[in-house]
Amino acid sequence: MDSWSNPGSVEPSDGELLQRLAGGERDALAPLMERHQRRLYRVALAYVRNPDDALDVVQETFVRAFQHAARWDGSSEVGRWLTRIAVNQSIDRYRRDKRRRATYEPLEEGDHDERTADGAPSPERTTAGSETMRRISAALAALPEKQRAIFVLRHYQEMSLEEIADTLGLHLGTVKSGLHRAIHGLRQRLAELQP
Amino acid sequence: MTLLHERWRTRVSLLAAGVLDGREREATLAHMATCDACRRDHAASLALLERFAQDPVHAAEPGVPTAFLVSRVQARLDAVTASRPWRWGWTLASVALAASLAVIVPAIVSRVAPGAKAPERAVAMGDDALRRLERNMAREQALRYLSEAQDVLVSMAANPRDCDRDKARVDVGDEARRSQELLNRRTLLVEMDQEGLASARPVLEDVDHVLQEVASLRSCARAGDVERVRRAVEERRLLMKIRLMSRELQG
Repeated sequence: MDSWSNPGSVEPSDGELLQRLAGGERDALAPLMERHQRRLYRVALAYVRNPDDALDVVQETFVRAFQHAARWDGSSEVGRWLTRIAVNQSIDRYRRDKRRRATYEPLEEGDHDERTADGAPSPERTTAGSETMRRISAALAALPEKQRAIFVLRHYQEMSLEEIADTLGLHLGTVKSGLHRAIHGLRQRLAELQP
Repeated sequence: MTLLHERWRTRVSLLAAGVLDGREREATLAHMATCDACRRDHAASLALLERFAQDPVHAAEPGVPTAFLVSRVQARLDAVTASRPWRWGWTLASVALAASLAVIVPAIVSRVAPGAKAPERAVAMGDDALRRLERNMAREQALRYLSEAQDVLVSMAANPRDCDRDKARVDVGDEARRSQELLNRRTLLVEMDQEGLASARPVLEDVDHVLQEVASLRSCARAGDVERVRRAVEERRLLMKIRLMSRELQG
């Protein structure tokens, strides 16, 4: 019986939904996306720094999740598995986006005002926010892929080092040194970008 | 700087990032008490992370309903697993069949029972239902058209593969083919309910125009030509328009 449609039952777990996807049941996409799309969107946006690209990353993440659901072996959390796909998709998209990066346009408040949870920003915040985002994006763009992914998962998802290692399939020591280098790289780059 | 001190620097960064605990944290704090450079390092890393805490991405929302994202994923899966012209053909065939039934069934009923009064009310309701069906289908197809056009345009905006690095040419064969395919389907969409798509027409025409540009590109196109299309998409803010219109079509 489909427990999702049974009002007397608890909601299916992520694992159950993934098993349904593996069986070709597309109906399981909606509840899984409802649970994870916002978090994955923020991971993708932190990485690719463009709302449209981030939406595409989320879309492709769930397309891959559907196509490869049978490969999920249950050894890691579904959320982490999805995050790993989203990070890989973000990296792929970012690689293909070299040309656009050369003529980079920062996220504009106009693109974002409908996305923030706390209403319209003040003019001061808008100006400061745009400048902050421009510099942050430029500094992140200068990081190597792996360091960038480690920093995004730590800073934007507040993952522990062990969770990052599990999500990205890296050794713990690599995550530690990667985070350290990312922080120093960002410091250096932001110092260069100071007016 | 010694290798040992480099290890302390790593720990100082991790301390600032809030990922050290237990004995490692205590040891790092104790070391910092005796190391001016480490304290400065720590303060600088904290200041950096404070700046990143102001990044609006922390509160960003996708800006489109989950249902829309689900429909985009479904459309992508459809694109992978099925032939689209076949599906469009069947959609239009369904509309045609529904229209035929609405006309033929009452006629047959009146022939079978010549004495009985023709079911005018039933025919009128059938027309209404048919119009609703057509309108919904037109909106659904427009939504799918926009979604797929968006995929093509995003793919164009991303850096395509070089097919001839020396001559600065890029491979946009797939995008050109998909654009032409979309434009062919668009001609079918034009024949569908116009009233229901009135508000979408300006965006659809903008999309048509850019897709025509893409479709006209050779598979191994000059980088300058691809750049021109990319600029047209940016100047028209086409991706944003598509997103907003898709939301409206979804109701």
